[in-house]
Amino acid sequence: MDFNASTLLLLLPEIVLLSAIAVILVLDLFLDQSKRVFTYGMSLAALVATMAAVMLGDNTSQVVMHGAYVVDAMGSVLKVALLSVGIFAFIYSRRYLSDRNLFKGEFYVLGLLAILGMMIMVSAGSFLSLYLGLELLALSLYALVAFDGDSKPGSEAAMKYFVLGALASGMLLYGISMIYGATGVLDFAGVAKVIASGQADQTVLTFGLVFVLIGIAFKFGAVPFHMWVPDVYQGAPVVVTAFLGSVPKIAAFAMAMRILAESMGGLGPEMGWQGWQGMLIILAVLSLALGNIVALVQDNIKRMLAYSTISHVGFIFLGLLAGGDKGYSAAMFYTIIYALTAVGGFGLLAILSRKGVEAENLHDLKGLNKRSPWLAAMMLLIVFSMAGVPPTVGFFAKLFILDALVNADLLWLALVAVFFSVIGAFYYLRIIKVIYFDKPESEEPIAANVDARLAISVNGLAMLYYGIFPASLLAVCQAAIAAL
Amino acid sequence: MEDMKTIYLILVLAPLAGSVIAGLFRNQIGKAGAHWVTILGVGVSFLLSAYVFWQHVMNGAPVFNENLYTWMVVDGLEMHVGFLVDNLTAMMITVVTFVSLMVHIYTVGYMAHEDGYQRFFSYISLFTFSMLMLVMSNNFLQLFFGWEAVGLVSYLLIGFYYKRETAIFANMKAFLVNRVGDFGFILGIAAIAMYFNSLDYAQVFSAAPDKAGETISIWGDSQWSLMTVICILLFIGAMGKSAQMPLHVWLPDSMEGPTPISALIHAATMVTAGIFMVARTSPLFELSETALSFVLIIGATTAFFMGLIGIVQNDIKRVVAYSTLSQLGYMVAALGASAYAAGLFHLMTHAFFKALLFLAAGSVIIGMHHNQDIRNMGGLRKYMKITWITALLGSLALIGFPGFSGFFSKDAIIEAVGYSQITGATYAHWLLVAGVFVTALYSFRMYFLVFHGKGPRDEHAKDHLKESPAVVTVPLILLAIPSVFIGWFAIEPMLFGDFFKGVLHVASAHDTLGEVGKTYHDQIGFISHGMMMLPFWLAMAGLAVAWYVYLMKPSIADGIRSRFDWLYRLLDRKYGFDEFNQAVFAGGSLFIGRLLWNVGDKTVIDGIAVNGSARSVGVLAQAVRWVQSGYLYHYAIAMILGLLGLLFWFVVR
Amino acid sequence: MSFEKFLFYLFAAILVGSALMVITRRNPVHSALFLVLAFFNMAAIWLLAEAEFLAIVLVLVYVGAVMVLFLFVIMMLDIDLATVRAGFIKHLPVGIVVAVLMLVEMVLVLGPKHFGLTKYAAPEAAPADYNNTAELGLSLFTQHLYALEIAAVILLVAMIAAISLTLRKRPDSKRQNVTRQHMVKKKDRLKIIKMPAEEKG
Repeated sequence: MDFNASTLLLLLPEIVLLSAIAVILVLDLFLDQSKRVFTYGMSLAALVATMAAVMLGDNTSQVVMHGAYVVDAMGSVLKVALLSVGIFAFIYSRRYLSDRNLFKGEFYVLGLLAILGMMIMVSAGSFLSLYLGLELLALSLYALVAFDGDSKPGSEAAMKYFVLGALASGMLLYGISMIYGATGVLDFAGVAKVIASGQADQTVLTFGLVFVLIGIAFKFGAVPFHMWVPDVYQGAPVVVTAFLGSVPKIAAFAMAMRILAESMGGLGPEMGWQGWQGMLIILAVLSLALGNIVALVQDNIKRMLAYSTISHVGFIFLGLLAGGDKGYSAAMFYTIIYALTAVGGFGLLAILSRKGVEAENLHDLKGLNKRSPWLAAMMLLIVFSMAGVPPTVGFFAKLFILDALVNADLLWLALVAVFFSVIGAFYYLRIIKVIYFDKPESEEPIAANVDARLAISVNGLAMLYYGIFPASLLAVCQAAIAAL
Repeated sequence: MEDMKTIYLILVLAPLAGSVIAGLFRNQIGKAGAHWVTILGVGVSFLLSAYVFWQHVMNGAPVFNENLYTWMVVDGLEMHVGFLVDNLTAMMITVVTFVSLMVHIYTVGYMAHEDGYQRFFSYISLFTFSMLMLVMSNNFLQLFFGWEAVGLVSYLLIGFYYKRETAIFANMKAFLVNRVGDFGFILGIAAIAMYFNSLDYAQVFSAAPDKAGETISIWGDSQWSLMTVICILLFIGAMGKSAQMPLHVWLPDSMEGPTPISALIHAATMVTAGIFMVARTSPLFELSETALSFVLIIGATTAFFMGLIGIVQNDIKRVVAYSTLSQLGYMVAALGASAYAAGLFHLMTHAFFKALLFLAAGSVIIGMHHNQDIRNMGGLRKYMKITWITALLGSLALIGFPGFSGFFSKDAIIEAVGYSQITGATYAHWLLVAGVFVTALYSFRMYFLVFHGKGPRDEHAKDHLKESPAVVTVPLILLAIPSVFIGWFAIEPMLFGDFFKGVLHVASAHDTLGEVGKTYHDQIGFISHGMMMLPFWLAMAGLAVAWYVYLMKPSIADGIRSRFDWLYRLLDRKYGFDEFNQAVFAGGSLFIGRLLWNVGDKTVIDGIAVNGSARSVGVLAQAVRWVQSGYLYHYAIAMILGLLGLLFWFVVR
Repeated sequence: MSFEKFLFYLFAAILVGSALMVITRRNPVHSALFLVLAFFNMAAIWLLAEAEFLAIVLVLVYVGAVMVLFLFVIMMLDIDLATVRAGFIKHLPVGIVVAVLMLVEMVLVLGPKHFGLTKYAAPEAAPADYNNTAELGLSLFTQHLYALEIAAVILLVAMIAAISLTLRKRPDSKRQNVTRQHMVKKKDRLKIIKMPAEEKG
């Protein structure tokens, strides 16, 4: 038995969040619609408190709860990242929801539960806890996508997401059972040990790996497991898209790291095309190509950003497959930055949407610079960061990945990535062009709350801050990866 | 030490803060707000610079060399933001902030009725910040950052009148020519990073002597001395920024910018960045005699031939611009002769008197209602007393009249080059000596044509000619003071004393200034010695010729012009550099461009790549749209097919 | 062939057969009933594998609760079968090809080559007094405590999600508000108007 009361201290972030969820759920019952903002405030407070618990907690590497829960620096960093991105997503959602009579406690409770699921994934020590965290996340997301019950596209998207998600998690589970069959253990460290000893059946392992990898690829939305992404991004209410398009990427990264690097590291980059490096190369190249090319012809900006996400996933995969401390830390940096960028991009769309009007087509952004120069400037920073234009942080995120690739003797992949990024730059520039050079269709001023304005400013300026001081975040990522 | 660090930081950031406030909140703070906030920022900066100067030079504060922020570490190559403050830096920041402050104040009067007033102030404060970052840097990366930043502001300001076609052309030219220089510069820095694995000055300089013998092969089997390659690459950067032949062509055109900018950026500070950089990297240059010879010859050539062009120019600002080119040539020649201290000394005196001349020219331009042709002027001394006197003082300083600041610095340079033993030193010496005559000739040609004689030609102009307002004349007076006196006070410590001890590195074989110092006793001695030498008499001759030809007998000028028509036309065309560039580089690239456009673009890129890729993007997107049908079972089958594919590839195969 | 083996193949055959019936029957009620049959056979196979508790839970939960609910839903919804069928027939060839390929790949890996008795020896039979349920409970509440807690939260999410998706306030529904009916005051309902008495005409 390795359990004693002090173990619970290590689980404190999850415990704090779950308790807060329970309290919010009950308190929300007794609140009038007019006092719903209290739920909102409490949810933000819950996130902040959880973040404090993560930051103050011990993060020296250790494994507790019979191998089910891992404490390490990477976990702490990723948790802080997903909590902060979650805070942004919540803040952007308030006015949008209340404009549409959707300002209900369930939104925040489901969001918090999704975050709880992601935190469980991030610090999962075994396939079992990882899978359960994933299901917790997925279930909450399905419900969030269908949150606007009156929206047909929303319900349709949720249905698709649910069925495909179930299929993917079925495959994941099947793969896990294969790996269990080959190694006889479920915790990551144990699996790694068995693989290193060479006793596991290589064919069965690879077979399981393929299925597990599909689970990861689905969560990320990599081609060809990306089909849900455009439909769900477009169908869901934009605030849900902001949440779903950003935070889960961090959890998916953790999932990839825990499974691929920590437990299946033996099938990693040293194996070349025999191991998961080869699989990721295929998925990454497909994602880069399809994401960037198809985004070119989209007019719906939510859909465009969905395809852009797919291409960014390609980049994250490139970092993962380059392997080594350099590749992993570059991928981690990229993921965190991408989540922050994406939440800003969708958040801005939420801010621009008014009662009864969804800002979701490219022409809804027309002449934004005339209507609100500050918001336009923030969008500029965010879009530049997505495109990887210096001095925004997106440039460095891409640079670190390319550097890792070159270091891993995968120069050709780096060239492929650059080629498709250049194609990608075009549709980002289209957004910029529309914002700055087109005439606005309506002169209506943009009504944004103070909190949303503040959040989008912090969010946009962060692109610049980390672009000028990329080392501040990169060093954190490197230290976290080195401590694995 | 901590106190000093804070002071350095405030010193650098104050102009930036001013710039940001004036730039971002231009509508909120208005015109007055913009000039007050930027003048305050630069003023604070100047006061702190003066304090720093006092601390370092008078009180002998220790050299400050610290990294403030690690920007990133890539493969062991550390990139920092850091300050290196020694006597050289202290002198530079004081000069920069002083001239900048004067220009800020002057601008209030000069730009009073122009559009983009706040924008202008924001730019010049931003320039000040960038220049301070450049000179205070303790590593090559930050140097490059400052280098590019001052360049950027310079382009922005040359194109300030962006509605004027010529301004846009000039700005483009400056940009392109500087790219050539910067290309060399960045290659040089890359070479340093590659061979030293460090960008820190101190580390590079201490490791440099060990690498003196190293050679590299650039192509084929020919071996090149590493130091020569690095130094020449760095110097190419300096040639771009400090406008040395043949990369000088942008500077005369940069006069399209507003006059305060010409004074601040294109005369006093930015263009001297190249001089500063070479002096800063003297430990490297001292290791390559080839590079020094190259520097010396380029400098001397620029000094003489650019001066000649100055004689035939009629635009008042262009005369001063060619004079700047020529004086920069003197500084560069000093560097080539290893007389770094003399080069820097001339940099400092030149900063004051050239800023003065430019601002005086600006004052004249205000008086003449933006008519810049000196043939239309004349007799202005009756209308603009202060401008007249200060311009006279500036001109005397420029030609090196004994006792004025320019005399000390220029004489020191000429003598030092005379002592130099390296290849090309004799050629350089004679060009520099002859240059003195040319300098005196063009300076006083302009002076006489503007302030003396009959005129102005336009009778109408007389009615509204009056002295410029105090915001214009006060900076003139303040700049005139150092223009006259600084040489007297600074020559002894800077050239022959300990001022640059430990900063500049001079190999004993190249110690030309030391030779000069052997005969030096005091200022009076230096003056009387100078008055017996050829340069002084050449200067006097130039002055006299200018007086006689342009004031007494203008017919002679016309006679000479018709007699030496070919020479006149050669000079008027500036040796055809512009035409050459236009025809060969611009024309050549246009030709290659057209060729590529016809063959490459139209057929290959347009036909196959663009239209082709547009077509294929269309086809692909169509295909994806077909797959992305919205039907759930299509999506599911795509996933299953993906699974099948991966299984086939990795498991069954 | 031992009796056990015979039983396994018997149950397995019925299982596969009924699973095929589930997806091929025209009538969804029949499909559901075949699914019940499949569950029963699965439970039997689990019993053979000495997983008594799971076998019983499968019957109790899936057959007893889930499938009954399922049948209710099918009957209530009365799905239009023709449209569902049309797609099925149209895509059948592709489906069969994919399914066969999948089957081949899985057989290649899952066959005796990798999972035969030489690789994994058959486990010893547990003694007669071995308590499957107790062991499971012990394991769940010690080793898998964390997973159990998460599973509990997942159920909570399922509940919240189901309620938030279905519970909706309809503005047109005419519900009584008993509290308000009781709280009503005379002046809310009754209006007394003073007017002069009318005279008989």
